[in-house]
Amino acid sequence: MSEFNFSVLGIGAWGLTARSWPELQELMAGKPIEDDGSKGPKPALIPANERRRAPLPVRLAVETSAQACAAAKLDPAEVGCVFVSGLGDTALTDYMCTVLASDNKALSPTKFHNSVHNAAAGYWTISTGCTEAANSVAGFDESVSLTLVEALIQAEEEQRPLLMTFYDAPVSAVLQPLLKNPYPFSVSLVIAPESLSPAGSPVWSASVMTEAATWPSANWPGELQDCYQSNPVARVLCILDMLTGGLDSVTMPLSSATAVTVTRVS
Amino acid sequence: MDIRLLDYQSTSAAGVDIGALRQSIDTQTSGLRKNDMPGSDLTTWIGRVPGVEDINLGDWQSRNNALAHLGYQQGTIATHVENLKSSLGSQRLGIVMGSSTSSIDRTEAAYRHLEDGALSLPYRQPLVHNPHAPSLYMAHLTGITGPALTINTACSSSAKVFATGARWLRAGIVDAVLVGGVDTLCLSVLHGFDSLQLVSPNQCRPLDQHRDGINLGEASGFAILVRAGDGYADSGIRLLGYGESSDAHHMSHPHPDGLGARLAMQQALTRAQLRPEQIDYINLHGTSSRANDLIEGQLIGKLFPKSTQVSSTKAWMGHTLGAAGITEALIAVDALQRGVIPGSLNLAELDHELDLSVQADNITRDMHYVLSNSFGFGGNNCCLVFGSVA
Repeated sequence: MSEFNFSVLGIGAWGLTARSWPELQELMAGKPIEDDGSKGPKPALIPANERRRAPLPVRLAVETSAQACAAAKLDPAEVGCVFVSGLGDTALTDYMCTVLASDNKALSPTKFHNSVHNAAAGYWTISTGCTEAANSVAGFDESVSLTLVEALIQAEEEQRPLLMTFYDAPVSAVLQPLLKNPYPFSVSLVIAPESLSPAGSPVWSASVMTEAATWPSANWPGELQDCYQSNPVARVLCILDMLTGGLDSVTMPLSSATAVTVTRVS
Repeated sequence: MDIRLLDYQSTSAAGVDIGALRQSIDTQTSGLRKNDMPGSDLTTWIGRVPGVEDINLGDWQSRNNALAHLGYQQGTIATHVENLKSSLGSQRLGIVMGSSTSSIDRTEAAYRHLEDGALSLPYRQPLVHNPHAPSLYMAHLTGITGPALTINTACSSSAKVFATGARWLRAGIVDAVLVGGVDTLCLSVLHGFDSLQLVSPNQCRPLDQHRDGINLGEASGFAILVRAGDGYADSGIRLLGYGESSDAHHMSHPHPDGLGARLAMQQALTRAQLRPEQIDYINLHGTSSRANDLIEGQLIGKLFPKSTQVSSTKAWMGHTLGAAGITEALIAVDALQRGVIPGSLNLAELDHELDLSVQADNITRDMHYVLSNSFGFGGNNCCLVFGSVA
């Protein structure tokens, strides 16, 4: 069993009708927030001309990353990061595959370079001037637990805070029957190893164990429940529930035979 | 660092296993061919692996999974994994795969066979049409039940697998890691890079004054990482250091001063506790694009002395994108193992603005330390340092 003690320095959120972490907490508590009609965030960090061309997954990830770093009072340029999308940018996949199935296979160069899975991490590091390591990973159903472990190990080894951002956008029509998710949802957490925890802040312990687990069943209010089940990165809700005192600990599957458990230490 | 390579294998147009790759290098025979990908009329050269299309994986079918399957069958990688599963338990092995296309080739095919705008039956494969597909398939194929992560950082993807794999071992969440990379030729990459005007109609000529663009290729590669103290009869190759950085500059253009590339190389050397003059050979990212080779070459010229030999091996199998990191890391490792530095194939006249120890011919030399560079879209960089056990 391997253990990693850490604290959470800042959280950012954008999903359903929530536009911030305080608003997501309201949704989690069953207090509806009126829909402002926006189809996605418009992160001020990205210059206006770039922002117009930035795909929704990128805007989701950059928005919540900025919120989390601001909450943590850290300069994003000095924070390494791990970004994860469980499903990728299926809107761009749809565009590319539609064009490539046609007679005229000329692709938009901007759409092509935005189609890389690390587009979100790329826009983030470019917008913030961050030259630190930026990892961009995929884990399908286990995206949240794998990214948490990857980030914890790196934070512990480097003895530095680390940003992790979970984001997934609605799946395009053709792949919708397979990959389901209709919800834009993004959450970012800035974590620090215990040695860098601010005095008095809660310390959590994550343990990796060789035993099988399933995602915690939940009964979230409103559309959150459906989002939790269909959007792979919304599984982060079970971690957020624990951080806000709803659960004593949470156990998540890491693979078919391993799991990660997070509990409060102090 | 205390990480060893237990075994390694590489499959590309230059050879379906490491033995065939050695032969291609020794005879300076390129695996590039004129573009013959079905459905693509681009005038260019490609590094296509013959026989991939003959592999049938049923529900897991994709060209990318087929190339991973083919690569995993080579040499003794699978035997080592079976032995490790028996001695450690399958849950104590991890998988870290790097890719950029994952299985987008299959999604392209699915779109060519839509029925009334919907996926037809053979293409309803949720575990294939997603960016984690390479690791999902390798977990299925190998029976490894520990953590499996896919890194998708464009062309640095399968270099970064070594960094993550090493961290997993040191953190103790697993006792051995199968690291790998697989990327496949498909219309997305051919026509995508063509849209950026980066594809050459000729055989690529990395570092050459008259280079005019890249050739795309496909590859799979695997290595097994273990902790040195665990007593395995390993290959004698150590992973000594890695460096990971971001350019913070542009999605598809490298930083003009090679800022992120420099940070990655310096970090890798610091971690390995080595000075530049101790590096015998560098396998460059060296794509054969005008900008990349100039920026990387000038940077190497500033950071390393002339005693450090460099080359780009992309004229052997093309730029294999998300599989380039591990393909080139293993070429560097094998150069160390054999004492043969591959030349920079197709180099006739070095770029007039570069001053490097580079030549087209192979060099036979005893070596201690080698380095491999991988720089990707989004300004994502990784540099690896390997050494032989003294």
